[in-house]
Amino acid sequence: MRASPPAPQRGAGADPLSGLLASFGACLLVLCLGLVALFVATENGTAYTTETQRRSAVARAPVQVPDFRVFDARGQAQTLKQLLQQDERVWIVDFVYTRCNTLCLALGTVFQQLQQQILAQGLQDRVGLLSISFDPANDNPTTLNAYARRMRMQSDVWQLVSLQRPADRRQLLDSFGIMVVPAPLGEFEHNAALHLVTADGQLVQILDLTAGKQALNAAAALTAP
Amino acid sequence: MTKALAILLTLLAGLLSVPPLRALIEQSMVWHMLVQMPLLVLAGFCVAVAWPQALGDRLARFNHCGLTGFMLAQCITAYWMIPAMIDRAVVLPGADASKVVGLWLAGVVLRQSFLKAPLAVQLFFVGYGLPMLAWLGFYMASTDLRLCNAYSLESQLRAGRGLVLLAAALGLAWAYSVRAQVLPPARNTLKHP
Repeated sequence: MRASPPAPQRGAGADPLSGLLASFGACLLVLCLGLVALFVATENGTAYTTETQRRSAVARAPVQVPDFRVFDARGQAQTLKQLLQQDERVWIVDFVYTRCNTLCLALGTVFQQLQQQILAQGLQDRVGLLSISFDPANDNPTTLNAYARRMRMQSDVWQLVSLQRPADRRQLLDSFGIMVVPAPLGEFEHNAALHLVTADGQLVQILDLTAGKQALNAAAALTAP
Repeated sequence: MTKALAILLTLLAGLLSVPPLRALIEQSMVWHMLVQMPLLVLAGFCVAVAWPQALGDRLARFNHCGLTGFMLAQCITAYWMIPAMIDRAVVLPGADASKVVGLWLAGVVLRQSFLKAPLAVQLFFVGYGLPMLAWLGFYMASTDLRLCNAYSLESQLRAGRGLVLLAAALGLAWAYSVRAQVLPPARNTLKHP
């Protein structure tokens, strides 16, 4: 639309108009680029937080979990791969530290309920629970053992391990997309969730802490005969 | 004097992204969203005050009534209010650098636009931007969902309350500047009845 109004004085009239058009064009350009940037940043307006983006990324493409040397509450050493592959079970994985008094206790009760449901539904051959400590500096077989007893873990359903090499902590957390931030009273806060990991070490789905039932159903569906 | 202040503010805001000061914005959402980010915009704003001609008339041509500048500043600030992008700025140095440059630039163009914009245009963007800021603050302070994986919920609550206060303070500052924009002609008419 190139309007040519009946400008009385051309010199004075043409400049504001071309300025107006230039501004209009620039405005439109900025708006379009801005919207594209906002859309890309929020995955087309569907994911505003890192946590949602982490979950949708895993749902789109499963992540291979790296192998680490771990030990359990009895002090027995093995690799994470061996643990996951010991049978055909799908694992529901979470991250804990045994000194925890806040969120991990919530996670503990979620896992306790899951343990009960697995036993009640006879799913113990198809679904396992695995808690991994991200506090290898403080966690040892003794603290793991105390935590396991506190949570009433049944080792055939629910396993608890920690890293043998504290240096692996960063890579473990990064591979799952867990961010741990220090909280008051020497505690940690982290994006807790339920992670579905198959026997061959593929992280296939991440669910909300409150979605224990769905996690169990999804895990059972993955191992459906 | 203004120039020294502008440079000082720019350095200060930028240095918050560099160790050892970086620890502050990594650990506290308040330091990140309520100190560094506003400081960056303010620094850009002051630079534009100190060097009014720096952008030149050629760019001013594209900023009729300050519209383009407001639009740009709105997009940049909205982008860095997305929780996932705040996380990225904490974790990725590249994202953090673009945040520093972007918000500083937003300050520069905001100043240019405020100079050129009639009150109605100012009202439109201020009336849109500040409620957005306040809404985000209310949401952050009232939800028990952790929006940023990089920050604790406690940090988010404090930052949320702070954002509401910031929006209110900016609104007052703008109202004060409007008073300055409106009053002189009123005084003139009194002087020359």
